[in-house]
Amino acid sequence: MSEDGLDPVIHAPARLRIMVTLAALPDGDNLSFTRLQDLIGLTPGNLITHLRKLEDAGYVSTQKNGAGVTARTSIALSRTGRAALDRYTTVLRQLLDSAYEDAELQLGEAWLQYGQGSVDAAEGLGVDRAL
Amino acid sequence: MNEQTGTTGGTGMDDTTNGTPMGAAEAAVIMREADDKARRDLRVSHRATFTIWGLGFIVGYGLIWLAVRGQQPFHGTNSVAFAVAALLSTASILAGVEESRTGTGIGGLSAVRRRISFVSVLLGFAAMFALEAALVQAGASRPVVSVFEASAPIMVAGLFYLTRGTVQLDWPFAALGLWLVVVAAVGGFAGPVGVWAVDALAAGLAYLLMAAIDPWLRRQ
Repeated sequence: MSEDGLDPVIHAPARLRIMVTLAALPDGDNLSFTRLQDLIGLTPGNLITHLRKLEDAGYVSTQKNGAGVTARTSIALSRTGRAALDRYTTVLRQLLDSAYEDAELQLGEAWLQYGQGSVDAAEGLGVDRAL
Repeated sequence: MNEQTGTTGGTGMDDTTNGTPMGAAEAAVIMREADDKARRDLRVSHRATFTIWGLGFIVGYGLIWLAVRGQQPFHGTNSVAFAVAALLSTASILAGVEESRTGTGIGGLSAVRRRISFVSVLLGFAAMFALEAALVQAGASRPVVSVFEASAPIMVAGLFYLTRGTVQLDWPFAALGLWLVVVAAVGGFAGPVGVWAVDALAAGLAYLLMAAIDPWLRRQ
């Protein structure tokens, strides 16, 4: 399986962090922009850019309350977003599992080759196989 | 989006900034780190609350027990009881402040739930004091009032934890609540003097135990 199966909207470090952070909240909760920024460690402009992409995909919803200096923007993961993150996690797990199996297979083949090499070497030295 | 911390629009930073080509393994690491950080920073820690309440019960109830111990006839301790009420109220406020600090920036259902919980506990204690006044007015003796004064706060706290724990399927909370309800119900049998010692230890140590295992519970 290739990494093409991973949702490109989520498959970027900053957006992945945002999605996972918001997913840690219980359903019905939201996070203020400033708190999310503190947690993710992005500049406001950069965070806004990534949030726009996620919002365009319908994965997060933003809500602005108040005006002026008291304005507070809160961000929440939508149901679509939670489902998308679940799918992303499943695909990622499958990718990692198959990569692990491939690595195990390669290791097994290398081991077999190593074993065959030992047998050949022993035969070359005239060691009786029966021993 | 126009946020108070930054009104800029797009900065041109895109996937290339924090989205350099990422492998599956790197994505898994990022997910794990982000999840750990979010759980650590966003989940409300009850450790301070449990510690404050545990010490409040042990010190407050312990002081009352020392004051009423050996009284013949029993006449209670109005001034000490008042001091304990003040101590527990202060403990309650300190605990609330500590928890609300962790919840800063979190809105929605959790915030509403926190406010309702706070008001419920306040109402519970207000009702408790009203009931005590009614008991005194009805001619209840000092020993009876003493048993009520010791048991009622624990019953209120216990019912609060038991309800919250069962509604939210938070079994450690529910277990603490159940234990406190049992302590409140049974502790009174130790009499108007003994009830203070029994409740101080049984309730106080339960809170401190919860404070001790809270970090472990938060990791689950």
